[in-house]
Amino acid sequence: MATAAPVASPPRKWIHIPRPLQKLFDTFPLLAYDGNALPARAQSATFGDLPTLYVFSTEEAALLGAPSFNPSCLKWQTFLKLAGVKFQILPSTNHASPTGALPFILPKRSSPTDAPSPIPSSKFHEYALKFGTSSPPEVPALRLDAYQTLLDVPIRNAWLQALYRDPEYTDLLDRLYISPASSSFWVRGALRHQLRRAAESEILKTGPGGTASTALTLLVDEQAVYRAAVNALEALATLLSESNTGWFFGAETPTLFDASVFAYTHLMIKYMSDGKSERQGEEGSIFAERRLGNIVRRAGSGELGGHHRRLFELLWPVDSSTVFLTDKA
Amino acid sequence: MTLELHVWGPAFGLPSIDAECLATVTYFAQTLSAADYLLVQSSPSAVPSHHLPALYNPSTATWTSGFDPIVSYLSTLQPPSYHHPDVTTLPARVNADSQAYQALLTSSAAPLLALSLYVSSANYAETTRPAYSAILPFPLPWTEPLAVRASMAARAAHLGMSSLDTDAEMERLEKEEREREAAGWVQVPKALRKALGQNTGVKGQLSPEMKRRIKLEGLAAEVFDVLGEIDFLEEEEEETTEGEEGEGRQRIKVTLETKCLAFAYLALMLFPDVPRPWLKEVLQRKYAGLCEFVVEYRKKTFLETGRPLPWADKETDPAVSAADSALSVMGRFVRAVVDDIPTLGREWTRWWSLRQRRVAEETSTESQQLVVRRSVGESENGLLLAGVGLTLMAVNVVGLGIYSYRYRGLLGAPLQTWHKPLVVSSLGAAGAMFAGLV
Repeated sequence: MATAAPVASPPRKWIHIPRPLQKLFDTFPLLAYDGNALPARAQSATFGDLPTLYVFSTEEAALLGAPSFNPSCLKWQTFLKLAGVKFQILPSTNHASPTGALPFILPKRSSPTDAPSPIPSSKFHEYALKFGTSSPPEVPALRLDAYQTLLDVPIRNAWLQALYRDPEYTDLLDRLYISPASSSFWVRGALRHQLRRAAESEILKTGPGGTASTALTLLVDEQAVYRAAVNALEALATLLSESNTGWFFGAETPTLFDASVFAYTHLMIKYMSDGKSERQGEEGSIFAERRLGNIVRRAGSGELGGHHRRLFELLWPVDSSTVFLTDKA
Repeated sequence: MTLELHVWGPAFGLPSIDAECLATVTYFAQTLSAADYLLVQSSPSAVPSHHLPALYNPSTATWTSGFDPIVSYLSTLQPPSYHHPDVTTLPARVNADSQAYQALLTSSAAPLLALSLYVSSANYAETTRPAYSAILPFPLPWTEPLAVRASMAARAAHLGMSSLDTDAEMERLEKEEREREAAGWVQVPKALRKALGQNTGVKGQLSPEMKRRIKLEGLAAEVFDVLGEIDFLEEEEEETTEGEEGEGRQRIKVTLETKCLAFAYLALMLFPDVPRPWLKEVLQRKYAGLCEFVVEYRKKTFLETGRPLPWADKETDPAVSAADSALSVMGRFVRAVVDDIPTLGREWTRWWSLRQRRVAEETSTESQQLVVRRSVGESENGLLLAGVGLTLMAVNVVGLGIYSYRYRGLLGAPLQTWHKPLVVSSLGAAGAMFAGLV
C-alpha cells in the first residue's frame, strides 16, 4: 500500500512539536502574568511605627484593640499589655502564620522593602521583657506548674467542648471562626465538621475530663469534662482567695499566670453566660447547667469573677474606644 | 449490694496493669471493706463505656467509668463500710492543690509511663505485651494490646520521642529505601552500602534509649521535680514538723485520691522489670523519697493488710462468666477487627459505642441521672448516612464503568476482528507470475 506523501511540510526545525500539541498551544497561547501587587492594606497596616500582633479577631475589634476571641491569643495579648509593650492588632488566621499557629508578632519595619522576621508565641516572653516598659514579676512557686496544667487540660477541654461540640453555641462558632473564612455553604459545612472532629480528638487525647484514656474510647464523656472544669475552677478560686494582693501567688502586679487565667475567664464570661446567674445557681445542679460563664462567676465565693473584672478594668479602661484612639494618635 | 469494679487484670506484682485502674483499686482497698465490692478482670471492649476502670452498681444498673467520676460517685453513694477519712477536716487549700496535682499526673506522668512501657519497642515486646497476653482470653491479645499501644503512643506524641519505637522507625527507613529505589537515582550496591550504613561506630551500637538518654532524663525530671514537692508520707513527717516549725520549706499536703493516683503511676514506673529501665533508674537514683513512698504504700495497702483483694471467681460468678464466654469474646474480637477497616470501621465503632451508651443510660434506674444534652455530631444516624452514601457511590462507579465499557466503546468495540487483505502481486516477481492464477 502506498503511503501518502507529506503535503506542504512546514519549514524544517530542529525540534518537531507534535501536531496536537501545536494546535493546543495555538489555541491557548502561553502567557505569563505579572506578579500581583501586595494588597493595599498590607502596606498601610503593617508599615507603622508599632509592631503588629496577629490574632484571631474582627476588623472592628482589632482597630479598637479589643480582646481577641481565641484563648491563647488573648493570653499573650493580655501579657504584652501587662508588660507595657506598645503594639497594634491585625485579624488573621492560622494559614498566615509562619509556625501555623496564632499569635505571632511582626516587628516594625524600618523601610517599605524591609522584611522583618516574625516572632512566634514561644518567644513572646523574652520579647515582652526586652521591649516592655514594666516587667511583670516572676512567680517562684513550684506549684505553678501544677496549677498551669489545670488551665491546659480541664479548663481548655471544657472550652473546646462548649464552643465546638455544644449545639447551643453553633451560632457563636459560626460567627467567630466559620463565617470569616468562607461564604460558601459547602465549605462552611466541611470546615465546621473538621473543627469539631479536631476538638473532639483533642479532648480525647487528654482523656475524658483529664483522666487517662486507655483504648477504643471514641466518645467524650461530657459530664466528666464539665465536672473536671468545675473542680479546676474551684481550685483556682481557692488559690486566689489565699493571696492578699488580689493576684495569683501573692504577686504585687499581675503575672503571666494571671493573663492565662484571664484568657479563659474573660471569654467564658463574655460569650457563655446569661444574666440570671446568681439566682439560678440554687435550684439546679451545677453540672446540669452548661454555661461556663456562670460556673466561673460562681466558683469559690466569686473570686474569679472579681479577678476578671480587676484585670479587665486595668487593661481595657471603661470607655476603651476613645482611650485607644487617643493612644494611637 | 455488691458493687462490681471492672478493671484491667493484674501484672508486675500489682493489682492492675493500667495506671487509672490501679489507682481505683488502691482507693477501694483503703476506703471500702472487701465485702462491699467485687473486682472483675475485664477489658475495655467488655464494658459499655469502652473505658476502664468502670464501676457497675447492680441495684440501679448504672455504669460509671474513669477514676475521678468513680470516686465522686462513691462519695454520693456511701456504701455501708465506706469511710472517707478526710473530707471536712481538710482546709480548702489541700483540695485545691490535690486537683492541680491530679491534673498534672494525668497530663504529664501518663505520657512518661507511655514512653517507658508502650512506645519503646524493646520494653513493649519484652514486658508489656506478655503481661497483656497473660490477662486476656485467647484471641483478644491479638487486638486489644495493639489498640492500647496506639492510644498510648498518641498520648506521648507531643514529647517527640517516637524514635524509641524501633519497629516504626525500621518501617519508615525501609519505605524511604523503596522510594529511593523507585525514583531510580544512583544506587549503591548492597554489599557496599553496609560500610556506609548507620550501623557502624559507637552511635550505631547504641539503643535508641541510650541516644535519647539526656532528653529522656530531662522529661522525667520535669515531672518528678514537681511531684517531689508533695508530702506523701505525712504520718512520719508529723512528728518532725512539730519540732521544726521554723523550717521555711513547706511541703504540700494532698488528699487520698491524689495519693492513690500518684502511687499508681509511680508504681508502674518502678516495679515492671523492663529491658531498658531508664525511667526506673532516674527514679531510683535521684528521687529516693518517691521510691520510698511507693514501696511503703504498696506494703501498707496490699501486702500488710492480710486481706486479699476480692477478685471475682471466673467459674462461679454469673456476671463474670457471661462476659467471658467464648461467644462474647469472639464478638469482641470481631468488633476490634472491624474497627481496623479504614474510615468505615471508625464510623462503625462510633455508632456501636453510641448505641451501647444509650442502652446503658436507658436501663439505668438512677434517679438523679441528668438529662444529657447530646453534643453535635453524636447522632446514631451518622453510620447509616455514611453507609448509604458509600453504597450509592459504589453502585454509581460500577454502573458507569460497565456502561462506558460496554456501550460507549471507549475502549473500542467489545469484539475486534482483523482481516489480512490477500494481495499476491505484492510478492515481487513470483507474485506477478502467479497473479493470473488467483
